[in-house]
Amino acid sequence: MGYLPDFPMALLPVSVHGKMLAVYIFGALMAGAAGLVALMAVPPRYRKIVVVGVTFFGGLYFSLEFLLPHQPVAHIPGSAGVARFANSLTRAKPNIADWAMVIASFTLLLGTFNLFAIHSRAVKKKTEGWYNSLAFFITFFLILIVGILKDSPVSKLGPGAAKGLQSVCTSLYGILFDGFVQNLDATMFSLIAFYIVSAAYRAFRVRSAEAGLMMGTAGIIMLGLVPVGAWLTNWLPSTGLLASLRLENITYWLLTWPNMAAQRAIEFGLAIGAVAMSLRIWLSLERGSFFDRQL
Amino acid sequence: MRFLIRLQNIDRRILYVLVAIVLSVPLIIRPAKHPETVFPEVRKTYDTIDAVKPDNIVLLSVSWGAGTQAENDPQMQALMRHMFANNTKFVVMSWSLVGSELSYQSGMHVQADVNKQRSREGKPLLEYGKDWAHVGYKTGSISAIVSGLGENFQQVMKQDRNGTPLTELAATRNIKNYRDIGAVVDLTSVGLMGYWIAYLTTPKHIPLIYCPTAVMSATAYPYLDSGQLSGMLNGVMGAVQYETLVGQADVATDASASSWALSAAHIYIILLIVLGNLGYLVARKTGDRSGGSKLG
Repeated sequence: MGYLPDFPMALLPVSVHGKMLAVYIFGALMAGAAGLVALMAVPPRYRKIVVVGVTFFGGLYFSLEFLLPHQPVAHIPGSAGVARFANSLTRAKPNIADWAMVIASFTLLLGTFNLFAIHSRAVKKKTEGWYNSLAFFITFFLILIVGILKDSPVSKLGPGAAKGLQSVCTSLYGILFDGFVQNLDATMFSLIAFYIVSAAYRAFRVRSAEAGLMMGTAGIIMLGLVPVGAWLTNWLPSTGLLASLRLENITYWLLTWPNMAAQRAIEFGLAIGAVAMSLRIWLSLERGSFFDRQL
Repeated sequence: MRFLIRLQNIDRRILYVLVAIVLSVPLIIRPAKHPETVFPEVRKTYDTIDAVKPDNIVLLSVSWGAGTQAENDPQMQALMRHMFANNTKFVVMSWSLVGSELSYQSGMHVQADVNKQRSREGKPLLEYGKDWAHVGYKTGSISAIVSGLGENFQQVMKQDRNGTPLTELAATRNIKNYRDIGAVVDLTSVGLMGYWIAYLTTPKHIPLIYCPTAVMSATAYPYLDSGQLSGMLNGVMGAVQYETLVGQADVATDASASSWALSAAHIYIILLIVLGNLGYLVARKTGDRSGGSKLG
């Protein structure tokens, strides 16, 4: 390989500000919508080729950037060109990051569109629990409007009105976010604690030696990680042979020896599986509902 | 003996009420006592933050929300206190919408708290934008963003959460690429450690500190052993141990209260497991099959 061209930087995103930003956003939305319409208009078997091609080139970029040498190798003809090409791929990384964020923003839009489609249907047909769908619309628009007004520059309304509106929106946002979103999220997660207690009491039975070993180890770890564990065995000396019997020291040994060995073995297995899976996805060998039915 | 068997069919609502009481009491009393034991990975975290050069920043990656706030928020606050004390500038970025708001609120809270102390001591007060910044919520391919910000931080991050260009903030003005990042801290409930290791910290030799929830921490020990992680705060216990190191050993904090709530909950669960197994053994001896099957 004698020469490879630089990665086409001119085709990648640029940063703009002011009025040009609005033009770019509008242009990007139009181009995105046109692209989607065009893709949907393509017959399914050709659409598949487009998706496979984009997936392949996306994976190829990261593979080449990682695997190609970034420094020329002495006495190997063409290595300078390869290194130059590899370095141009590296320089394109921030632009690739920009693209990644832009594409993900479209998926947010798609998610919102799906939610609207599902919940509007539920409200329209008054299906069971339709009022939950109505609550979705109310809360969605409420937190959207309040959130935008809270942070937007509203000085055009005059100092008094602007201050008043922002103050109201800030208070409302506090109620909605701190009072509802945050607490509801935390509550959902906290329920796990209650289920764990009930499950541990009713299902954790020492029916075999392995179960006994697991229970003993879990008990030591549970106590050794919290302050009460250290307190239970703080009568033992902090140095010397007996110190190794302190609960926190047994805990640390369990975590850094048996646990680490097991975790390392699991990680190796997972990594090999991930390589195989990544190759299948990259080369579009993976067959799922998307390729078999949707396209 | 019959009592132990009958106890196996105890109404689960009683268990739930007892969990609530066991967890609530320490959180209401708020003990100030911090643990004397500090695990080596927590000590390493402290040393890593201490070793960050004055002209470098620490990048805090937030991928947690309200669900794990009790574990991840104390970790972040303890680290922020340390960095404020060292005058180490830091930048917070979030992969979670809720986490973005919560981490900003936490940063402002710690800043206000530290400023009270600084005001008493006559030291210059901390300011958002000068001593730290928050670049808000980021979405998209994590691998692409992580590797991109290492090459051109300003282009990928662009502006802070308030829309101010990073070039106008003193805290971020001089960050060009990975050479200006002194350490990365992954505060997470979903495990993004692999992305940071693969795409930024290991290739560019940047120390990575991992702050997961306690249940995720066991998987990190091979990476600590290999040196790909420079430190770890293991759930809220890591946070409370870190607070001991940053001089908060006698201050009643959320982390210290949580650590005692955890102590009480763990003892309660162990007692329940022992009681459940005693009932199981007695039932097996007497041939009684009436207990120990209902879940929920």
